[in-house]
Amino acid sequence: MASFGRFIRLAFGVCTLLLLAMAAPASAQQVNPTASSVKEQQLLQELNRIQGRVSIPDQRSGVLEQPQGREWREFRMVTLPWIGGVAIIGMIALIMIFYLTRGMVRLESGHSGRTIVRFNGFERFVHWMTATCFIILAISGLNVTFGRQLLLPLIGFEAFSEWSQWAKYAHNYLSFPFTLGVVLIFLMWIGGNIPNKVDIEWAKRGGGLIGHDHPPANRFNGGQKMIYWIVVIGGGLVAASGYALMFPFYGTGIESMQMAQIVHSIVAVLFVAAMIGHIYIGTIGMEGAFAAMGSGEVDVNWAREHHSLWLDEQMARTGPNDGQRQPATAAAE
Amino acid sequence: MARMKFLCDADRCIECNACVTACKNEHEVPWGINRRRVVTINDGKPGERSISMACMHCTDAPCAAVCPVNCFYTTADAVVLHSKDLCIGCGYCFYACPFGAPQYPKVGNFGSRGKMDKCTYCAGGPEADGSKEEYAKYGANRLAEGKLPLCAEMCSTKSLLAGDGEIIAQIYKERVMKRGYGSGAWGWKTAYREAIES
Amino acid sequence: MLIKRTHQRSDRRGSVAESLAGQGGGLDRRTFLRKSGLAGGALAALGAMPVGNVRKAEAAAAGPLAAGATVKKSICTHCAVGCTVTAEVLNGVWIGQEPSWDSPINRGSHCAKGASVRELVHSDRRLRYPMKLVNGQWTRVSWDTAVNEIGDKLLQVREKSGSDSVYWLGSAKMTNEGAYLFRKLGAFWGTNNTDHQARICHSTTVTGVANTWGYGAMTNSINDMRNSKTMLFIGSNAAEAHPVSMQHLLESKELNKANFIVFDPRLTRTAAHATEYVRIRPGTDIPVLYGMMWHILKNGWEDKEFIAQRVYGFDDLRKEVEKWNPQEVERVTGVPAAQLERVAKTFATVKPATIIWCMGQTQHTVGTANVRASCIALLMTGNVGKAGAGANILRGHDNVQGATDVGLDIVTLPFYYGLAEGAWKHWSRVWEVDYDYLVSRFDEKKQMETPGIPLTRWFDAALLPKADVAQKDNVKAVFVQGHASNSITRIPESLKGLKALELLVIADPHPTTWASLAVEAGRKDGVYILPVATQFECAGSRVASNRSMQWGEQIVKPIFESKDDLEIIYLLAKKFGFADKMFKNIKVENNLPVPEDVLREINRGSWSTGYCGQSPERIKAHMKNQHKFDLVTMRAPKDDPEVGGDYYGLPWPCWGSPEVKHPGSPLLYNNNLHVMDGGGAFRPRFGIEREEKLPDGTTRKVSLLADKSFSKGSEIEDGYPEFTLASLKKLGWDTDLTEAEMATIQRVNPANPDAVSWALDLSGGIQRVALKHGCVPFGNGKARMNAFGLPDPIPVHREPIYTPRVDLVEKYPTLPDAKQFRLPNIGFSVQKAAVEKGIAKQFPLILSSGRLVEYEGGGEETRTNPWLAELQQDMFIEISPADAADRGIKDGGWVWVSGAENNSRAKMKAMVTERVGKGVAWMPFHFGGWLGGNDLRKNYPAGTDPIVLGESANTITSYGYDPATGMQEPKVTLCQIVAA
Repeated sequence: MASFGRFIRLAFGVCTLLLLAMAAPASAQQVNPTASSVKEQQLLQELNRIQGRVSIPDQRSGVLEQPQGREWREFRMVTLPWIGGVAIIGMIALIMIFYLTRGMVRLESGHSGRTIVRFNGFERFVHWMTATCFIILAISGLNVTFGRQLLLPLIGFEAFSEWSQWAKYAHNYLSFPFTLGVVLIFLMWIGGNIPNKVDIEWAKRGGGLIGHDHPPANRFNGGQKMIYWIVVIGGGLVAASGYALMFPFYGTGIESMQMAQIVHSIVAVLFVAAMIGHIYIGTIGMEGAFAAMGSGEVDVNWAREHHSLWLDEQMARTGPNDGQRQPATAAAE
Repeated sequence: MARMKFLCDADRCIECNACVTACKNEHEVPWGINRRRVVTINDGKPGERSISMACMHCTDAPCAAVCPVNCFYTTADAVVLHSKDLCIGCGYCFYACPFGAPQYPKVGNFGSRGKMDKCTYCAGGPEADGSKEEYAKYGANRLAEGKLPLCAEMCSTKSLLAGDGEIIAQIYKERVMKRGYGSGAWGWKTAYREAIES
Repeated sequence: MLIKRTHQRSDRRGSVAESLAGQGGGLDRRTFLRKSGLAGGALAALGAMPVGNVRKAEAAAAGPLAAGATVKKSICTHCAVGCTVTAEVLNGVWIGQEPSWDSPINRGSHCAKGASVRELVHSDRRLRYPMKLVNGQWTRVSWDTAVNEIGDKLLQVREKSGSDSVYWLGSAKMTNEGAYLFRKLGAFWGTNNTDHQARICHSTTVTGVANTWGYGAMTNSINDMRNSKTMLFIGSNAAEAHPVSMQHLLESKELNKANFIVFDPRLTRTAAHATEYVRIRPGTDIPVLYGMMWHILKNGWEDKEFIAQRVYGFDDLRKEVEKWNPQEVERVTGVPAAQLERVAKTFATVKPATIIWCMGQTQHTVGTANVRASCIALLMTGNVGKAGAGANILRGHDNVQGATDVGLDIVTLPFYYGLAEGAWKHWSRVWEVDYDYLVSRFDEKKQMETPGIPLTRWFDAALLPKADVAQKDNVKAVFVQGHASNSITRIPESLKGLKALELLVIADPHPTTWASLAVEAGRKDGVYILPVATQFECAGSRVASNRSMQWGEQIVKPIFESKDDLEIIYLLAKKFGFADKMFKNIKVENNLPVPEDVLREINRGSWSTGYCGQSPERIKAHMKNQHKFDLVTMRAPKDDPEVGGDYYGLPWPCWGSPEVKHPGSPLLYNNNLHVMDGGGAFRPRFGIEREEKLPDGTTRKVSLLADKSFSKGSEIEDGYPEFTLASLKKLGWDTDLTEAEMATIQRVNPANPDAVSWALDLSGGIQRVALKHGCVPFGNGKARMNAFGLPDPIPVHREPIYTPRVDLVEKYPTLPDAKQFRLPNIGFSVQKAAVEKGIAKQFPLILSSGRLVEYEGGGEETRTNPWLAELQQDMFIEISPADAADRGIKDGGWVWVSGAENNSRAKMKAMVTERVGKGVAWMPFHFGGWLGGNDLRKNYPAGTDPIVLGESANTITSYGYDPATGMQEPKVTLCQIVAA
């Protein structure tokens, strides 16, 4: 990325300037400040930014010129929409193709009528809190990147600004429960999400998505672990970079602000794309999956097909619940 | 067509800050908002130069490009203005601006920004010229009265020039020719993609 | 608008080239306005333009907010450049400031302070009503109560301790009329203890320069420096202290390719624009100047003809200069020989050359000698009395020149008449009051003729044993009207003085540090604060640095309960019972003396300095016709009906009565012009000949009159003494006097009318006749390189009292202890003790002080202005990177600064910068409201505390007084800095 290169050049430039500064006072014999004045283009070539002293406490105003804003603009106006567009539209396209060719992953052995608890109330609460926040954050975030092009022409300036203003407030305030959710998710499910040998086998067999194979899996299969780590790492990154943006210039300069925005937006669009996939699998992509986060209980047959190792473990410990039927398809619609 | 620009002749600027307080005075700009500021490069060393900087009213303004709500507009005089009614205070224009021009009043909790404020080239905003609403949101509208920005008009050494870009470039060129030195029209290359040969 | 603007652009292109040829300034706004048409209609067009996505509101009918406002002009109060302030006033409210394009001085420009003066009037932190300290609490009182109680207390002090025990501290911010009346109040009260900021600003200039060639003022003008080819800044940081002057100076540098040479211990904002920067050790101005002169004399670059015709004492000077060979100069000052030789050559050969100075030269124990050395350098190279040359002495307050001239001073009555009996008699004639009455007001006649106590030492006068103070009693009461306390050195000791006083009255728009320090000193009562209007709320005349007088209109009425200076003075006079006598010839309306009448009285008495021709009518006509004056010569076209041929502001001396229509003298001592065109000569003020002792023991008489040099058109083509009736008779010119004039002369001195001189003749006849014959009323003499009568007739380098170069003290000691201005000056003992105690080891850094562009003086007014205060929020000290590294001090970090006396210490932020060299630290002197690390905000009356407070530089400054003027030493002392 261009900006990383900038940093290296900046660091190099600072060194150069220091050297220059140290060399300058040596010529005490004749000091002609008029003849030796600093030149803009020279400074820009050396550092690609010009910084000086200001008497006001707002030290970021000491940056006189930062043409790298131009690169940030390029990123925001061109690079990011492409990344976001490709990731999100690509994901949707992929899902559609998959759905059209493969259809819903059916429960091959049918419903057993017996269920087993997959997620308890607290787990579901955390999931849905995080998910709700995420969806609002995603929409309000995407609005910043795509709203001007997509939504503004439809609803006009005033309405769009009004909406965006609320979206901004929502984005700022919901960041807190979202972050809390990410932290809880991390703590809650870290136990089942350490990658292991089973995952390799699972991945080798295509996660069972292709064909009618059902590779064995623990409580969380390879795909779910992937989602978990995307949430934890991606969530962590968007949260960290987001707070840097939300509390501007607390120990950060303009360059780190730009960097934070770049990180935040790239991670966010990829995150959104990943979550679209997650939502698909959790709903119409797979029969019986929604119940896991819906009622918290899944059909034993479903569990056997998708999480055989976990089911064995659970059965050994307690045994399945009786008599509760919950057709997964109903919830999926 | 007149194309308004600022030019700070760094070989004249003495960091007297008249431009800064003239701006405060003309627009009653609140504490903490610095529509214009003076930066001193190489402070205390031979060759030190001070430059007065505010919004340069760029050609193809980056702030306008990156604004998520498209609240910027460019006047017929090429002055880049914005609507505070539309601004959502996202801060993007500050990231894009090469000159650190956008300012945000701190409102509410955590560094949350209010509506962006910046140099208007003393040309007000979208409200009716000289109206109270315009004054309250953006400050005075001198351009509409046929006056130039007060910062440049009051500059102690006539370092800060404002007006038609071609004319002020001409003034600067002639100065440099006459005196034989010039550290350049600061910011012009970045803002207007042109430099003044000197 | 667009169409019109396009038009105008093509039109203007031609004129731009023209205006550039002259000054390359900003755009011609008048043309702009005329051609672009006014707002409303023009902008309607804009509404129809494609203006991007957001549309301009259609309603273009709303006019500018300022519609219907009236425009008033006044003068900026923040330095002596004399910028015109143009105010828009609507319904009694000052709603906006516009550039003052017409003024030839500022041409629309301002500095940070000038561009924000509107806020001074607006400020809600101004004092609103009189207050007094009751049991340590600030309590509101009425004006009547305040004036009565203050008056009674002062009379009581007078009764007990004598009239000299009340100290009257006035202000350079007063108008001429205010300062004049304040001095007159002192005279009627019966004391010479009347002083103002000039004491700590340019008292050394006034004394040193007047002793050299006649008048202690800037010889040329800022505009005239547009003619200079070489500008030598020694002790001036014009960019920060006089920013608008830089407009003219930088254009001179650009258009004339003028050399712009800056001598300074710091690389200041001025030095940043220099063509050569010379870093000197603080306090070594004389060796540097002598070092230059050494090269000049060695190479024969001096102006021999000028010296022969117009200079006295050259041989005496040569002896002193010869001591300063390049090695010694480098040893003492640190300036490399080659650089100094180059500068000397430029200065002496690229003419006209001028020396510009300010506090850097004057605020020293050797201040008078410093400025004398500068004058001598100018005389040696023939750089006086010419366009582009001269001593361009930049003064600090808007009316410090005027307040000095009108005699708000301890050594003289108005207009430098002195304090001798003749002077008192002159003024008693002008005031139409019995001389004997004035004598009766004093403790004794001797005190009437003895200079008073300098303001720098008011607290010494309050604290020293009674026997050491040469007046009836110590100072017991201080009445201060418009003067900061934190601009006076040795604050820890002044604190004791504040405690010792019986009464302190502070009359000011702000409470100032007098109030906060008085509370800190432990006072519970005996302090009054009276709210005074700013000068923008008062009308009157002010004299800029270049001696131009300008009239300021009242912009708005005094806000809250504040009162005009003149009214307060009148109320006091009334209380003391001499208002009728004091205001005999001055109309008073509602307790407010009419300023025009006061100026007319000034006109009638100021013959010595030539304020006599500056009638209020003429001055007001100048303000009205500002745009007619030339930028460089400052002269109006001769054919103008109102101001034809006048120089802007009638720079004094403006000879004769107003009817003589003297145009003013923009360049002093300029003999290339006819005296009626502003020409002049050096003033023979110290006799017409002098007896000199020769080495062989014999004596000879040497003339002090000019030799074959005279102003253009003079009928006497040689030197001549001042004019008296006797000399007119000798020349046969007395017949030119009218009968009325003769009658007045007879009245002035019935016993011996022949002795009546140009300065005492109240008719102005003698001046008129001298002018008629092309002669300068004061005569035509030589300037003195040897100013016999001063403590050092030839300037001598003397190390500062607290110097890091103890090795030089033996060779260059300060002058011996002596009694000066009623008090002992023990500088020598202090210096000796400091060397013996090894102070320089304990406090190894030189501490100097100076100005910031955002603040002025003690700074309370400017630190209360949010537009300025925002720009400088913390007191700081500049320290070099090397010294900072040695002490582990970081840029922006807190430090403790400790001083050489009183265990003084102060907490502030460090600014690590190469502006200062190694071994030197520098502080701005505008801060106040902290003491020894404590915030004194609580000591201010509620709601009147300045926004920004900080430690005062003068908490750290130390002993040291110029023997000729009582000037303090804030520019060189010693300190130590440690990280806090």
